[in-house]
Amino acid sequence: MSNTTSADVIIVGTGVVGVSIAETLLDAGLSVLMLEAGPRVARAEVVENFRNLPLALKGDPSSCYPPAPWAPHPMPSSDTPENSYLQLSGPDKYAQTFIRYAGGSTWHWAGTCWRLTPEDMRLKTLYGVGRDWAIDYKTLEPYYARTEYALGICGPAEPELQWPPQNATSIVRSKPYPMPPLPFGPGEQRFTEVVKTLGYNNIPTAQARNSGMPYDDRPACCANNNCVPVCPVGAKYDAATALARLEAKGAVITVNAVVYRVETNSANRVEAVQYFDQHKQSHRITGKLFVLACNGIETAKLLLMSASPRNPKGLANSSDQVGRNMMDHPQLTMTLTLAEPFWAGVGPVVNSGIMETSQGAFRSEHAGAYFRFNNFARNRFVTFNALKKGLVGTALDTEIRRMTACTADVVLAHEVLPDPNNRLTLSDKKDWLGLPKPAIHYDVGDYTRKAAEQYSLPIGKRIAEAMGAIDMKISPKFAQSKHIMGSTIMGLDPRDSVVDADCRAHDHENLFLPGGSAMASTACGNSTITMVSLGFKAADAMVRQLRGA
Amino acid sequence: MKALLKTLQVTALLFSFNAVAASGPLPLPFPAELVERGRYLATASDCMACHTAHKGQPMAGGLVMNSPVGEIVSTNITPSKEHGIGNYTEQQFSDALRKGIRADGAPLYPAMPYTAYAIMTDDDVHAMYAYFMQGVTAVDKGTKATRLPFPMNVRTSMKAWNALFLDEQPLKAEQQRSVQWLRGRYLAEGAAHCSSCHTPRGALMQENKELYLAGAQVGAWYAPNITSHPTAGIGSWTEAELVQYLRTGRVPGKAQAAGSMAEAISMSFSKLHDDDLKAIAAYIKDVPAIGADGGRAAKVSRFGQGKPGNELVALRGKGYQAGMQGQQVGAQLYSANCASCHGADGQGTKDGYYPSLFHNSATVNTSNLLATILLGVDRHTAEGHVFMPPFGKQANALNSLNDEEVAALANYIQAGYGTGVADVKPADVAVIRQGGPQSHLALLAQLGMGLGVLLLIVLLVWLRRRKRS
Repeated sequence: MSNTTSADVIIVGTGVVGVSIAETLLDAGLSVLMLEAGPRVARAEVVENFRNLPLALKGDPSSCYPPAPWAPHPMPSSDTPENSYLQLSGPDKYAQTFIRYAGGSTWHWAGTCWRLTPEDMRLKTLYGVGRDWAIDYKTLEPYYARTEYALGICGPAEPELQWPPQNATSIVRSKPYPMPPLPFGPGEQRFTEVVKTLGYNNIPTAQARNSGMPYDDRPACCANNNCVPVCPVGAKYDAATALARLEAKGAVITVNAVVYRVETNSANRVEAVQYFDQHKQSHRITGKLFVLACNGIETAKLLLMSASPRNPKGLANSSDQVGRNMMDHPQLTMTLTLAEPFWAGVGPVVNSGIMETSQGAFRSEHAGAYFRFNNFARNRFVTFNALKKGLVGTALDTEIRRMTACTADVVLAHEVLPDPNNRLTLSDKKDWLGLPKPAIHYDVGDYTRKAAEQYSLPIGKRIAEAMGAIDMKISPKFAQSKHIMGSTIMGLDPRDSVVDADCRAHDHENLFLPGGSAMASTACGNSTITMVSLGFKAADAMVRQLRGA
Repeated sequence: MKALLKTLQVTALLFSFNAVAASGPLPLPFPAELVERGRYLATASDCMACHTAHKGQPMAGGLVMNSPVGEIVSTNITPSKEHGIGNYTEQQFSDALRKGIRADGAPLYPAMPYTAYAIMTDDDVHAMYAYFMQGVTAVDKGTKATRLPFPMNVRTSMKAWNALFLDEQPLKAEQQRSVQWLRGRYLAEGAAHCSSCHTPRGALMQENKELYLAGAQVGAWYAPNITSHPTAGIGSWTEAELVQYLRTGRVPGKAQAAGSMAEAISMSFSKLHDDDLKAIAAYIKDVPAIGADGGRAAKVSRFGQGKPGNELVALRGKGYQAGMQGQQVGAQLYSANCASCHGADGQGTKDGYYPSLFHNSATVNTSNLLATILLGVDRHTAEGHVFMPPFGKQANALNSLNDEEVAALANYIQAGYGTGVADVKPADVAVIRQGGPQSHLALLAQLGMGLGVLLLIVLLVWLRRRKRS
């Protein structure tokens, strides 16, 4: 355990947002201390955890990340109502997963990096729904470019294949992608051709993955098709790849440090954070600036837990918006049996998508959707059905092979609107350390339900038909995409938002809450690139603030 | 007042410097073709590999190299007048290149392969001079000084070394040889300085000419026997394979370049003309066979050893920690760290981008196996950038393995995919981690001098006693 008890900036959380901020601060010559609730685990161990899992558990990306007792996180395959960490209620279950390990949840992300469009950030003005952002796309754009270079995001050079769409009136990208896109596998190639006949463009996914070349002193992707739950070679960016580099630059990273309280002084500035180590010993850390970057659930939980007579509703919560507006990308999956082989599984697990369906005037009525041909190798999923048929030996192998080729998952991911009733509160159930478990009430809302009924499922069914589906199963309920957004929402007005345009808490001038929790809209694309871009913007603001500029 | 005067003087001085600078560059004395020929020769001589720091400016020096006698820092050889060789005359340049003598008369350490460059022709040295003066961008930045232990820090000691080991004779005429062979010899023995690494050195770090290209340790890496011997050397290779190796750094099923050979391929060989690569290959194929590699008899070729296989049955279903505490630690480490690229059976990929670990000379030599694990591979050619992450203590290590773990992993690889002999010990790993075996030269010299002083004292005492008697 490190003896350091102070630094210029204290960062709670070692996920992608925390490490991106830390590196910016270190490069600016500031001292940084990072606190991570969970343990630091070698990639080799995670890889072997995965390989040793029974086949039935390999589809659950959390299974190879057993939580430490003091840093519980959701474990969908083994959670029971009695022991589960998240206490869920409401018509839809906000069943998230995240990883409380050093490096955070990018350990098991797919690496997808769709930018928001300018329209995504102005829903209220353009469509009369949701919220406008406190910043516009033009302000965010340079930070997107910075994120693309920091994480090593590959993507197409052709403007017509980029997202947001590049045309004469659009805001131009300030930089090209640092690497070309990965080639499509046979399934994606065929899917692209099929949807083209319906008038849709399936474009290469911008993704934090080294495409055909090393980048950032990490190797090229060698197509293990194992991005979720772990890239075994570090070709996919994950924040764990940055930890040793941060330490080489002077960061102190303290693991097994579960922050349970954020203290303020009489000026309502943050004075210190307190954490329990794995022996339940309490420690106190002081600093000049404080960053909570521990995902939308843990950040909101920590703010609420830090309630005091000075801040009776919790820290940063004079607006009563902390923990509210919980958002995600509710998704439906169409599992198709196809007449002809498609062969998913060559290349990374997510490598292309139809994004144009997320945009349009219809957004005044219902949500947009993003369609994705999942490129996970199918054998893991189809083996059970083949076994159920009672096959053995060569017949079993042949059937697994046939179904691997001739089945596909097409995912329909939707946007949701920020709704204050979708709310995280502190449950009266306690975890191993005696800290309250998060309780979350969630309803995806009519805006999203209407999209599924009237828009995305009809399109999805046309796509399935064009693909030659002979059987189609559609998930009966929305599943969560594990893109936690909204719990400390950004806005210009301190009365109805938690943080300003730099992710600084309206209520505390030296407290920053950057990342997905600040996002004021979800759009349909995965949130990480926007989270990191907000992190870089916040980091620049911190450097200015500490330099007194 | 005094201070003000001083400031004025300094200011005036600065202005006078500016005035000189503003008078514009000197007219360029060398024709462009000559500069380009010099560039090619400098590429063939691989000046860049040593005189450019990692991610540094070309030829600006600053690369720290581990030598058996200590760390040597390469110098700035850009035409910077203050920090580089901008003030060198052509004669001074020639003397540095071919005699190992700096402009100030001090000798260079033979980390600079002047003993090889010594055979280069006046014409070629002239072209290289033109290139260094005119084709390289001046970098006005100094480098850290080289500090070797006593007595190597006394540079004049190198004069005695040169007298013993620097051969300033031009190459012998070989009337009956082809033009191609002669060109190959000129390049291989001169610019490409193959012998600097591949020939073992004697106690005083001089190349042992009897064992020309018979294999030697170079820092953490082993530069193997490349004589024409069918098993100890590269006698089993075709000329085309040699050319392919020099151009791309790999011949699937045989070998691939890492360490300083990867640098030589990236910065030098991959950029040479086909004719020159063929000439080098023709000459190397003709180097007299020596049947030992690194002093050990090599009856079996290093290119065909090992076979595919795995020990996963012993590991699956038990978990990583159980594997690490069990009897199959090497197999556990291999599965966790290596198999994702090199395959569960060590078979690599079909296109050879990820090499198979059997039928691979890199896994047969313990030094190179350990250095590859600890340092990774980094090679740039027209085929692309080949990169294997390191498993040492680097910031980008995919996983930092300790000496015991590296030894267990190396033994697993040696046993199944390599020689079949698993005799790597953690101490061997520590040696490679520290940059390879250290020479006892400094210690010997110091001891030698100590002995000399002792002898002197004995002599004096004896003389005095004699006088008394």
